[in-house]
Order: sequence, then structure tokens, then C-alpha cells
Amino acid sequence: MHEVLLFASVPVHQHHELLQQLAGLTAMQPRHCLERRLIFKAYRKPGLVAGRTGASQDIQSGDLQRLNKMLNGSMYYTQVVGPVSEKDFGSATDSDTQMDGTDETPEAPRYDYERQPWKLEFRDIPEAGTRSAVTSRQMSSSTLPSGDIMPTMSAWGYSFVTEHVVEGDLFIHNDITLFLQRVLHYPAGQEPSQPRQQMPALKDMTPLEKSGSYVLQASITVQDGSNQETMKTASQHLFGLREQLKSAVRLEQADRLSLDTRAK
Amino acid sequence: MADSFTLPLRPLLDERDRPDTLPAEIAQINNQWGSFRDVNEDVLRTKIAEEYRDDLDEDEGDQSASDLDSTERLEQLYKRRKDIIDFATQAHMEAMFAVDFVSLLLSKNTPRQAETSMSAFLKQIAPLGSLNAEVVNPPPKPDSTTKDISAVSRGWRIQNFNGAANKLLQAASRLENEVASETRYWNEVLTVKEKGWKVSRLPRERQALGVQYGFLEATPVFRDRGLASLRRAENGSLILDKGLIPPKARFVRVRVMQDGQLAGRSKPTSPTNDEQTIESRILQARDTLYEEELFHELVREARATANYGVTTRQNLIRIPASDNLEILLDLVDVDENDLQSDQDISQEGTRIAEGLSHTIRILLAYAHRQNLHRRTLLPLPLTPKKRSVPEHQLFRPALAYIQHMSHVLWLQSFLKDIFGVLHSAALDIPAYTKHVFSTRIAQTSSAPTAEAVVERFLTPFESTFSGKLLTPRGSFSIAIHTNLSSPSFGTSFDVSCNMPNYPDIKSPGRLSLREEVQAAITHLLLLDVVFTTSSNSLPPSKPEKDTQENRVWEAVYPQHGELVLSSSNPERHRKIKLALSRHELSLQTYTVRCIDGTGRGKWEQPSQTPKQYTWGTPSASTHSLMAVVSEASS
Repeated sequence: MHEVLLFASVPVHQHHELLQQLAGLTAMQPRHCLERRLIFKAYRKPGLVAGRTGASQDIQSGDLQRLNKMLNGSMYYTQVVGPVSEKDFGSATDSDTQMDGTDETPEAPRYDYERQPWKLEFRDIPEAGTRSAVTSRQMSSSTLPSGDIMPTMSAWGYSFVTEHVVEGDLFIHNDITLFLQRVLHYPAGQEPSQPRQQMPALKDMTPLEKSGSYVLQASITVQDGSNQETMKTASQHLFGLREQLKSAVRLEQADRLSLDTRAK
Repeated sequence: MADSFTLPLRPLLDERDRPDTLPAEIAQINNQWGSFRDVNEDVLRTKIAEEYRDDLDEDEGDQSASDLDSTERLEQLYKRRKDIIDFATQAHMEAMFAVDFVSLLLSKNTPRQAETSMSAFLKQIAPLGSLNAEVVNPPPKPDSTTKDISAVSRGWRIQNFNGAANKLLQAASRLENEVASETRYWNEVLTVKEKGWKVSRLPRERQALGVQYGFLEATPVFRDRGLASLRRAENGSLILDKGLIPPKARFVRVRVMQDGQLAGRSKPTSPTNDEQTIESRILQARDTLYEEELFHELVREARATANYGVTTRQNLIRIPASDNLEILLDLVDVDENDLQSDQDISQEGTRIAEGLSHTIRILLAYAHRQNLHRRTLLPLPLTPKKRSVPEHQLFRPALAYIQHMSHVLWLQSFLKDIFGVLHSAALDIPAYTKHVFSTRIAQTSSAPTAEAVVERFLTPFESTFSGKLLTPRGSFSIAIHTNLSSPSFGTSFDVSCNMPNYPDIKSPGRLSLREEVQAAITHLLLLDVVFTTSSNSLPPSKPEKDTQENRVWEAVYPQHGELVLSSSNPERHRKIKLALSRHELSLQTYTVRCIDGTGRGKWEQPSQTPKQYTWGTPSASTHSLMAVVSEASS
């Protein structure tokens, strides 16, 4: 699948107004979203890399070639996304103190890490050299088992890098998904080597952008990225939206290299 | 505006002087030539001759002048020429002086213009604006002239003031009217807004106001039609301008036909009020829009359900509902309904029609909510294929309900009949229990109550009948499923039974015809009766039972309702033949003369005219079945 995107930066004082404008445009109430995002980095497992050389060349089939290419090709960062709700935050401190005292807590921590659903989201680096004024990139999402995701991911050759939380509001306008979002960091402390089991209070989270501004992301997913006709239709729809929102925000193409997901 | 403006901005045109009148000319001639009285031909002739002579004299004078000396003439010529030149120079100088003077004088007021006409010498000598002119002590005018002038100017002024005043008053009153009508217009717009209608600018006509009364989640065609502009009439009242859409109120009429006769019809949803406020007009427009969308969706659904025999004409949908019930849907004007007579309208038909008309409207509102729900889901990836919008379920659930009810009622009446027959034969079969619409509701759905209520209506209907048989531990149950929204369509009966005495009898399972169900139940009950007869009979011979095994009615052919009481005498076997139908239970007793009594047909060799008993009919036997059986066995 492909997705075509446009981005706009929204200063914090415009946020409320833009929410209302988007609600009017899309004729729906904003859907508030909170997502945990875990960043994983692919690493090369030793021993898998070595391609066969020498006498075995004659039996190197097409499949093997493809496998080699895949394994020796570029590595990517991927993110694992889990939806959470506001209730899930802030249970860490309570449970910690209670855990210290009695093991049997009458008030169980509300956030249950073992039941957290996950989704693996892969995003390629945006395509280069397209003449269109939209960002387009290859993407893929798939559902992962709930609960502790670390064993699964490490079995696939991914190591945990960091995690953050994205909060925002979602709108749907025909084919277009509008996500007005910002990235929140966990309170400063030592960076754990695996996903947190408990969530800190939401008010302790600090926005990545110090001023607290938001990013508006307008995207359309396209089933078949090689079909020029649909890609063009999708771009046209985005351009139409850009015209409609012209007086409110300036939607534009993102810098390609800033969306680079390749692991160096 | 321009044409009504009549201020006298231009000077009035003076009338042109007429040519001299004849009397003036006569007076002139009199002055010049004397009276006409002395004029006659001689005088005129002499006068002409004199004039002619004068001309000749002049010619002679020229002739004499030419006689002068040529040098003298030349001198004279030069002299004259010099005179002319002197005169011209003088005139030029005077003119230049005048120009310089006037220019200098004007340079006080308009220096730029005056400068252009000044001579260079003057510009050097005199600075601009150094000369001024003022009227000093004007000569006194005569009183009469002053009076005249002041009177005339006063008159002019008054006239102009009057004209100006009239214009101003006209403009003021016009403005007042405008203000009044604008005030009225805006007040009405405000009233509309305060009632909660959405008032906005029209997208195509930026300077006009519009009111949105349509439904956001309707089919796009109808959604876009839900916007009408609010125009201002001459007097400021609000006009709802819907463009080309006819302003008549229409509604979807439901008619119920029973056996081809009109049995009931629905009334218009909103009463037509003659009071034409803007609010009522907006409401009417909204209702009509809703009705039109409803009919549009009904036609779409009708086309999709053609396999039920639903037919569509241009403006009519004909739905065969059940048995002899037919439903007609059409879109008509609100006032058209009153034209037809009210005869042949039954209470029940009207109830069905009203119920159906409410149902389809509620279901359309529900479909709108579903549209909103679908619209706000994450969009699916874009593909070249266009996704078709599925038809809403509008009349299908109602139709399923009617069909289901019809089947339930039929089954109920059938069971009542056949149980009545059994009761009349004094067979004490326990009453069955029924659960109409026993569909289990999933309580997990997070939808609001209103939607949850409707969702219940959209699930397939199920009713169950269950009861115990005469046989101990015997039971039966019938489940009726009706489903018109997904395959398999239609109604099916799930008949199951539990008869421990006939272990090889299997439940009939899923049946779809009423006749099959009837046959299955009848057969089941017949078996039950046969078993009861064989097990319960012969209470009087109970003491001998230990010694004589044969004194028991044996069900030889339970499927055919045949029982045999074996006798030691091969000629005297007794036989009972039971037959059960919906309306009667009949019993035949006779003696058979075959060896063990199990023969059928001609092998039975009935010995005598069989005795016949029936129950459930008017000529029913008054004895109970058991009494008859005991009598037959003795």
C-alpha cells in the first residue's frame, strides 16, 4: 500500500480554532486519540548475512537471490503503535507506592500492559524525484499480538530504541484522514531498555516541541501504488483539501529526508 | 436612482429669438424710405436709374484718378501701406498690453495659467500677483433694479429649495421603507436562527443567505438539496427560495390491500397547517425532502428485492406481504389523500399502514445514523473500483415482521385446532408454551439506546413453540426464523421432537412449507396418541395382566395409527385404526381374521362393518377416546 500525505504546522494558539474549523469541514466531532509508539530498529543477525560464494553459485536460485537482497538490503526503523486511553495514564505512581507496601492492592492498576493491543507500522522513506507536490511513500500496517511485544520483535530481528506518546484528534473527510497531533515525551529519567509497563500521569508528559504546537497530517492510503490513475486521484483530493484549508493552514509537502526511516 | 433625481443642475435653455415680425419691418421701412403711400412705379424706376448713375459716376472717378501721376500714386501707396502697418502695429501693441495687463491681474489668483499668457518682459519686470483689482464704491444701482434682482434670486432660491426638500423627503421615506423591510427581514432571519436552523451564506451566491434544513447523512443528491436561500420580498418578508423544486408538500403513502380491496392507508406525517409562517415552510420543505429521499431509497430497495415479487412502477411500489395482504407505497401530494372515500377502511388495515409508515421513517433515520458511523470510520485504501452503497433496510424488516407474524398466527391456530381435537377426545395433552420474538439480544453493543432498539428490529426474527407430549418425557419444539436481509431469505420452521418410545424417529429438521410443518406435527401427535392408547388402555383387565400378556393393545403400525388387540382366537383379533388431522380425530374398531392380526389392506379381512368414532367435528362422539378403546377391547 501507498500513502500520500501533506503536512502543516499548527501553532498552539491556533489549535482550538482549527479543531472547530475541521469539525465544521468534516461535519463530525473530533475523535481524540492517544497512542503509545515504540520505535524499533532492525539489526542484522550475525550469520544470516553471508551469501554463498564460489561453487554454489550455479545453484543460487532466484528465491535465494531475493532473500539475500532482502537481508542485505537497507534496514529500517519501524514503529509499534498501541492505542491507549486517558484512563491508562497516571496509574504508575499509585501502583508503585502500593506495590511497595502490600502486594495485594485493593485498587488494581488500571493500565494493563498484558492486554495492550499493538499494531506494527512500517513506513518507507518518501519516494524521491516525484514531480507531484505531495509526499508519497510505501506503507504497511499489520496487527500484532497483544501484551508484551518484546519477544516477538526481537525474534524478528528488531531491537527496542525508544518510545513516546502521540496525542491528537482524528477527522475523516471522505477519503482523507486528518490527524492533528503532537508528540509527547515521557518525563525525564533514565531511558528504559524496554517498553514501560506503567504509564506516568498525562500532565507530566512534555511535548517534543517546547511551544506545544501541533502538526496537521492529511493522508490518503492507496491500495495499489503503481496505479498512476489512483495515485493522481489521491493527490487531487489532497490538493482540493489544501485549497479549502488555504485560509486556515498551509498544507505542504514534507522534507523527504526528515521522514527517512532507514537505519544507518 | 438617476432618473428620479430632478434637481435643476442645468441652466434652463432660453427660448430662441424669433425673426423680426412684419410690423417691425414695416416700421423700419417707413423710417428709412418714408411712407408707402408715395411709392409707385415711376418713383422706383427713377430710384433705380439714380443708383445706376451713381455707379457710373464712381467708375468715372476711378478713371480720373488713374490720370494722376504714377510717382504720386506710388508715394500715396506707400503712405497708405505705412498707415495700415502703423495701425496694425498699434493694434497689436494694444492687444499685447491688454493681454499682459489681464494676465498680470489674473496671476494673483491663478498664477500658473496666467503665466503662460504673459510676455517675457513682463515676467522679468513684475512679480506674479503684484496687481489686484477690487471693486471700489460701485455706482449705486437704481432701487427698482435691486428689487428686481433680489426678487428673482429669492424666487429661484425658493424654487430650488423646494425641489431639494422634495427630493430629500422622498429619499427619506424610501430609506425608511427600506429600513423597515430590512429590519423585518433580519428579524425573521433571526427568528429562524433562534429556532435552531442553520443559517449560512450560500456557497454559490456569496451575498445571499441560506438556511440548511436537509440531513447531512442523506444520499448526496438529497443532502445537497437541503439548502434553500432566504430571499427578501418587497415588503421585507422572508421567502424560502428552493429553486426549481416544486413547493408542494409530498409524502410517502402506505396503503394496505386485503384481498384486492383497500383496507387501510397511512395519513400524512405532518398536518398541513394553513398558517404560512417561515418556520412551517422550512419544516414542510424538510419533511418533503425526507419523504422524497425515503421514496428514492424505497425504490432502490424494491429493485433489490424483486426476488420477493416486489414490483415497481414509475411512482408505485407493490409488495406482496403475506397471504392475502399486499402493500402499496407511493409518493403523493399531501392533499391528494383526502380525495378518496374512506369506505372499506378497516381498523386493522389502518394500523398496519400506520405502523409500516412509521417503521420505514424510523429506519431511514437509523440508516442516516449508520451513514454517519460509516463516514467517520477510517477510510479504506483507495482503489480504482467504486464501492456501491448498499441499499438501506427500510421495508424489509417490516415485511419480515408481517410474514413472521403471519406464520406465527397460522401455527398458533393450527396448534389450537389440533390440541382442541385432542382435548375433545379427553386426551389431556399439556398446553404448549410460546415465545414470540425470542431473539436473543446482544447486550454488548455500545450503540445508544435508540439505535439499540432499532438494531433489535433488524436482526432475524425468531419465535419458538415448545410443549410436552402425552408420552412421558416426550416433547416437541418448533422454531420459526424469518430473515429477509441476508441469505437464506424467507421463513423456515425448525421442528424437533423427542420421543423416547420411538428411538428411530428423527426430528424433521428445517422445513419451509406450512403443509410440511402441519404434516409433521400431525404425524408426531398421531404417534403420541397411538402410544398413549397402547400404554394406557385396559384398566379393567389390569388384575389379569400378569397372567394374560395379550390383553394389551399393541401398536403394530404406529405410523398408520393401527393397533391390534391379539386374541387367542385367530379369528377374533381386534383392531383400532386411528387417524388424526387438523380438524378431527377418527377411530375405527373392527375385528380382523388373519393369523396374528398384523396384516394390512385386504389381508385384514375385516369381519364386520367397522364402528366409527370421530372427535372434533359437530357430530363428535361424547365418549372419551379411552372409554371407546376400553369398550372396544371388552
